[in-house]
Amino acid sequence: MHPFEYLAPESLDETLAILARYGDEAKVLAGGQSLLPILNYRLAQPAHVVDINGLPLEGMRLENGRLRFGALTRHATLEESADIRHHCPLLSEAARLIGNVRVRSLGTLGGSLVHADPAAELPMVMLALDARFTLASTRGVRTVPARSFFTGYLSTTIEADELLTEIDVSATPAMGYAVEEISRRAGDFAIVAVAALVRIDRRGRVDDARLAFAGAAPTPVRVSQAEEVLSGHEPTVERVAQAAAAARAAAQPESDTFVSAAYRRLLSGVLARRALARAVSRALEAA
Amino acid sequence: MRSKPTRASSTDVADAVGLERDLRLVGQRVIRHDARDKVTAATAFAADWAMPGMLHGVVLRSLYPSARIKNIDATRAASMPGVAAIMTAKDVPRNTLWTDVPGQTTAVGSLRAKLHVLAEDRVRHQGEPVALVAAETEEQAREAAEAIAVEYELLPGVFDPAQALEPGAPRVHEEGNLLAHWRVCHGDVAAAFARAAVVIEGDYRTQFVDAAYLEPESGVAWIDSDGVITIRVSTQVIEHFRDVAEVLNVPQNRVRIIGTYLGGGFGGKEDVTVEVYLGLLAWKTGRPVKMVWSRQESLLARAKRHPFRLRYRTGALRTGQIVAQEIELLADAGGYAYLSALVLLYATVTAAGPYRVPAVSVDARVAYTNNVPTSAMRGFGAMQVVFGYESQMERVARALGLSPVEMRKINALSRGDTLPVGQVVDTHVALPELAERAWAALGELTPPRAPHVKIGRGLACNFQPYGRIVWLHDWSSAWVGFEMDGSLVVRSGVPDVGGGQASSLCQIAAEVLGVPLEQVSVYIADSALTPLAGTTTASRQLYMSGNAVLKASRELCEQLLKAAAAVLGVDRDAVGLADSAVRTADGRSLPLPELLHACSRMGVPRSHLGVYHAPAGEPVDLEKGAGKVFPDYTYGAHAAEVEVDTETGVVKVLKLVAVHDVGRAINPLSVEGQIQGGAVQGLGYALMEDVVVEKGINMTTSFASYLIPSAVDVPDVRAIVVESGEGLGPFGARGIGEPPIGPPAAAVANAIEDATGARLSVLPLTSERLARALGLM
Repeated sequence: MHPFEYLAPESLDETLAILARYGDEAKVLAGGQSLLPILNYRLAQPAHVVDINGLPLEGMRLENGRLRFGALTRHATLEESADIRHHCPLLSEAARLIGNVRVRSLGTLGGSLVHADPAAELPMVMLALDARFTLASTRGVRTVPARSFFTGYLSTTIEADELLTEIDVSATPAMGYAVEEISRRAGDFAIVAVAALVRIDRRGRVDDARLAFAGAAPTPVRVSQAEEVLSGHEPTVERVAQAAAAARAAAQPESDTFVSAAYRRLLSGVLARRALARAVSRALEAA
Repeated sequence: MRSKPTRASSTDVADAVGLERDLRLVGQRVIRHDARDKVTAATAFAADWAMPGMLHGVVLRSLYPSARIKNIDATRAASMPGVAAIMTAKDVPRNTLWTDVPGQTTAVGSLRAKLHVLAEDRVRHQGEPVALVAAETEEQAREAAEAIAVEYELLPGVFDPAQALEPGAPRVHEEGNLLAHWRVCHGDVAAAFARAAVVIEGDYRTQFVDAAYLEPESGVAWIDSDGVITIRVSTQVIEHFRDVAEVLNVPQNRVRIIGTYLGGGFGGKEDVTVEVYLGLLAWKTGRPVKMVWSRQESLLARAKRHPFRLRYRTGALRTGQIVAQEIELLADAGGYAYLSALVLLYATVTAAGPYRVPAVSVDARVAYTNNVPTSAMRGFGAMQVVFGYESQMERVARALGLSPVEMRKINALSRGDTLPVGQVVDTHVALPELAERAWAALGELTPPRAPHVKIGRGLACNFQPYGRIVWLHDWSSAWVGFEMDGSLVVRSGVPDVGGGQASSLCQIAAEVLGVPLEQVSVYIADSALTPLAGTTTASRQLYMSGNAVLKASRELCEQLLKAAAAVLGVDRDAVGLADSAVRTADGRSLPLPELLHACSRMGVPRSHLGVYHAPAGEPVDLEKGAGKVFPDYTYGAHAAEVEVDTETGVVKVLKLVAVHDVGRAINPLSVEGQIQGGAVQGLGYALMEDVVVEKGINMTTSFASYLIPSAVDVPDVRAIVVESGEGLGPFGARGIGEPPIGPPAAAVANAIEDATGARLSVLPLTSERLARALGLM
């Protein structure tokens, strides 16, 4: 690890002032599950590490049908909180698949989103949930929709002087949901993961379908091509298969040392079908 | 170190055939002293050691797989803060280490393979050590190493053993790229194929894998007050004090290796690791030096298991009897020889499996490449071939409509048979029973949990030599002695790699000398103070040093009982040792301390040095099939049940049963631990472990990319211990360190074929490879 100055601000204002002063020279430490390996491997050599664990950014509150998460909310909370499981079960199901119990007890929602690994579960789920991210800096506060947040491999629209403080999503208790994932080893980053949300109206037709991929493109992506196939239709087995085929065709997977693009494409189709089918069956139970 | 025996119920330890039954400690499920120490964090591993004034050493490694070193400029590095020494090849008194391969390798001749301590004018693999730095802190040493300017001129490299053997391939070493070549010709292979009703051909590939021990290579060296260079190090071979002396050009009795309890070895600490570098830096600076290789470094540059290409052609009669095996093996040695020629010899000898095959030809080669070097790893060449011969057995059985168990029963070796190399099998082979028990223990077939899921089962057997090649004239020694109070000391130069090597010695001595286990202290692995016992490799340590302790204990017992008989005025046959006392046939007893004091007065020694020599022989010509290669073999059978997702190719191993005839389980807990650990490591080999090397560049230098199975990736392995009493070790024991890693890959591949009809022939058996085989992409 390269030497750095460790800073532990006690207020948001102090934190933002530090970020404004140091910009690219500073890295924010939240749960440390990505930053510490990066520092250990010297992939980043920041002059200042800003530990924000002293800030009051942990936990979830419900406000006008929306869930507002502090950026420091731990994966374990997403997994275990009864409130979250009730109002946003997709998030709980996804959180269970992250790493292992040690990673989940320290890792944070905000940290995962800002790190923006294309194969991580939470960025994908935030896309499916149409989340909004609050970014604060000494210049002010702005809100960015998840859809325009992830810009490339490990890249987002966040500026060097900004801090992700809050994530808000609309509650989806009446929607069917499912996460499907295949990894090289239990608890590892997904080869491909899929998140699905489906709502069915009184006439038995899909009135809201959302599908998001991780590991199928350089960023997490929403798959509108598949959503369009389902929306307004009865979610029959054939219709779900058609939507999955559209998802498979829309995937833009890449090859790496371990997994080919072709295999990722195969998994995109199979997992999209399984996730949609499970979400549909849950939606029918809810309807 | 004291051991407290804890007797748990002896379940699952199978039928004993003709075993001594009246044993008190041997065969008990004893909690090992080192297990207690490890879980309470009392064990001082090599990296836990620190000394006043200690420096930290690091190795600068080559960035390139094939390059000429034009210049090394360490001027800037030498002036950096905290730097105490920088060394390159020119600073090493003797920079070349030699590996002798005894016996002849066909076509290449006897081999003296060299290894440079530090690279001289060229580097032959990525990660090859180029320079050493010692500094006050590890950070300073790393900073300085990065500041050493090495000017490289890139050279063409060769990264595939087949290409390395083509004319005009870049030469890794001046002598050419063929490192060793062994051949076996046994029987008339062409005639045998002519008789065969079915002939199956298979082409298999295995991968590089890493030992991936918990404890990376580490140690501390210092020059002791007597001037002896002393190195406390994690090693399987304390005899490497000789290599350090050779490199430093000092007498061998001026270097001492103190071996620590290891956090795993698996063959990766059989060659020298840090000890030579530590010796050099301590010698150069006169100060204590610590060196701990990082996980990245270990994954990058430490010797791996050899990737093999295996070609099998197997002929069988309609009855299922195998009549011919024609086998070609090609292995990748990487940039330096290390133990490649011997690994290949093990593969050659065992290539046809534990079966009676009247006609066998084996043609085995290993070539240098500019890949990461390969060397010893648990299974040592007898491992890769299991994937070949057991895949073939399964395919022949399917072609003939025979069950996996029938197929093995028809072909299993038995006592009196001759191996293709001419070695007569002179101990019991329980293979049919092992196969039957493994298969039966799978129990009820698991019902598929979804329509896209299929369940399948596979069997794989193996045999693994234990003990070294007979023409190495292997021996071990141990000292056993009583203190005046009746407590017992065992001394033997055994490195304990975590398999319970030290603890088993205590059990054997306590058994013979009639003392409770908690009365025994054991001192191991010190080349200056413990009698040399040889390497903890080749599944040999219980066999060899167990026999040395047994011999020492029995002779000490005899010595003491003669004295006791004299003291008590009875015949020698009328006394025995039990419960720390001499007992007479007529019911009298003499407490042990009283006997020991009497011995002292009478001048009767209270200790004995036992030396055990393994059955020895001269090198055999493998090609002519002339005789014995290994002392004996351990046989095993694994049965696996897998679930295959037929839409994605994902395989989950639901059950794994591992059965081995260990001859005699000295401590069933340790034996089951070896079997479970080996089987899980074998499942890693089967399903996910893969050191990916692309044009000589290692792509898997962290545990994020080099995957080993975690607890949730593997089933509970059911270990079944069979005790035939037929081993050459103490109380009829056979070696069990290596054997359990062999069968899982073939068992899982066979189970996948059973489930899906798809045959995978490339390791690891990834979901992507299966998806391709299933025609999903």
